[in-house]
Amino acid sequence: MAVFENAYKGYEGGLTPQWSRFLVLPRYSLRDVFKSKLFTALFCLCFIYPLVAAILVYLHHNANAIQLLQINVRELLPINASFFLYFVQFQGWCAFLLTVIVAPPLVSRDLANNALPLYLYRPFSRAEYVLGKMSVIVVLLSLITWVPGVLLFFLQAYLEGAGWLWRNLWMVGAIFTGSIIWIVLLALLALAISALVKWRVVASGALLGLFFVPSALGGIINGLFQTRIGHLISPGALITNIWSGLFGRFAREADRYTTNSIPGRGFVEVVLLEPPLWACWLMVALVCAFCLWLLARKVRAYEVVK
Amino acid sequence: MSVTVEAGEKSVTKEEKLTTNSPWSLWTRQTLAIMRLELMKNFLTSRAILLYLLAGLPLALLAVLAIFPPPSHEFQNFGELSLVYAVVYGGLILRTLVFFGCAWLFMNLFRGEVVDRSLHYYFLAPVRREVLVVGKYLAGLVTTITLFCISTLGSMMLLYFPRFPSESTQYFFGGPGMSQALVYLGITVLACVGYGAVFLIVGLFFRNPIIPALLIYGWEWLNFLLPPLLKKASVIHYLHSLAPVPVSEGPFAVLAEPTPAWVSVPSLVIFTLLVIALAGLHIRRMEISYAGD
Repeated sequence: MAVFENAYKGYEGGLTPQWSRFLVLPRYSLRDVFKSKLFTALFCLCFIYPLVAAILVYLHHNANAIQLLQINVRELLPINASFFLYFVQFQGWCAFLLTVIVAPPLVSRDLANNALPLYLYRPFSRAEYVLGKMSVIVVLLSLITWVPGVLLFFLQAYLEGAGWLWRNLWMVGAIFTGSIIWIVLLALLALAISALVKWRVVASGALLGLFFVPSALGGIINGLFQTRIGHLISPGALITNIWSGLFGRFAREADRYTTNSIPGRGFVEVVLLEPPLWACWLMVALVCAFCLWLLARKVRAYEVVK
Repeated sequence: MSVTVEAGEKSVTKEEKLTTNSPWSLWTRQTLAIMRLELMKNFLTSRAILLYLLAGLPLALLAVLAIFPPPSHEFQNFGELSLVYAVVYGGLILRTLVFFGCAWLFMNLFRGEVVDRSLHYYFLAPVRREVLVVGKYLAGLVTTITLFCISTLGSMMLLYFPRFPSESTQYFFGGPGMSQALVYLGITVLACVGYGAVFLIVGLFFRNPIIPALLIYGWEWLNFLLPPLLKKASVIHYLHSLAPVPVSEGPFAVLAEPTPAWVSVPSLVIFTLLVIALAGLHIRRMEISYAGD
């Protein structure tokens, strides 16, 4: 068909800089995410624990409040590495819940409705697409994990003084690194599963199963073989070890007991050792690498269906 | 031409007569037809891979255990194996694998059709929607029962026979082993019936069934901490009551009288019937909206 209309022209407006093109995706996705009342409610609930922690920090430094409550909060709950470790753990599990709700539709909808070509025919690479989708999860989870964690740390530092700040500055790194590792692991797993199964509900279910089934299997392996090596297949146990390592609270010796249950050996002392920290980091890295490989295979503008 | 029309009219009249006279035979045939379709989907599509993996996990674990037996007393003493199996069955098979397997399959019976945009084919067919619910539920039940019963029995055999072949033969064919195996199989069947009903209704009522599933998992997992009255509002309590070898639930467990089998089994069956009736009522008014999935 001949085209007589000659009004069509190429786009002459300003282009988004190459480096920030991936940020276009979170701009729209975040707007969609907060349309869900359920998600918004859960997101708000995730700030309850940081608020409670902030109140505890404040109580530590408020002489009137300590006198009024007639309890020694300093002895009851010291603000140290364990306090921040528990904070990171608690918020980390909240982050997992949010990921189960928010992450699966991000990629699965595009793949299920064959919408990927609409992204990729623009000057927008596959890596930028994955980065853009990941950044939605990273932004949301950061807001409930390391951001309040670091703010809490600086609140304590402000109330306690510069000496405490310099002595414990390493904890900022631990809060940030621990949280960001968990966020990246969750984001990659969620996106890879969504890209693999393409259905939102199924992807959410698979994500849940991927955390609970290996944990149960790991627990049974630990019980049957009298070991702690089963923790290597449990994402929860892996990240707990990594967090403990970052906060200097990791101990390889998990349990020690005396038993006569090994025939012909009399009473023997059994020491159960957690997997070494390097093994935990290696497992997390392997899982992330596998997810990236899966995403590279699945996120394509077209696919050949046999 | 007129002969053909007459023949057609005759056949319609015959069909109508059949339907009005005995709807049950028509419903039975329709249920079986739906079951046949669903069984093929449940066993042969890519979604079944996860079920196979779940059902195969304890078999793989116990095969490894058979090849590399731990040196501890429990594995050298034949009498202790029943306790080891009770731990594996309660901790892994029942609480985790059957639970997630049923969640996966039964929640997808209707949600999966919505996601695939294929539910309207069923709704356009001249089939009562209650028949559709029953057909789909029974197909899911046959699938989960087949897979997890193989898993239950297979893992039991893998635990007993490789290390103690003669004692195991005596135990299963001349001792209490067979009845224990049958009780475990019965518990697996009842678990599939109970959890299947729960997840069928969850998949029908909730657009995003993951949060209810997570809450149910938490409720079932924390059952040992609940007071006796609340324990009864869970499937796992009734299943644990039937276990042939009781396992300690830890120092923090709140002890409660196990519900006798004559109460547990009918309770689960009545609960399932009620849930299916509720699902039948719900699906009669269901309208399909594929948008947003």
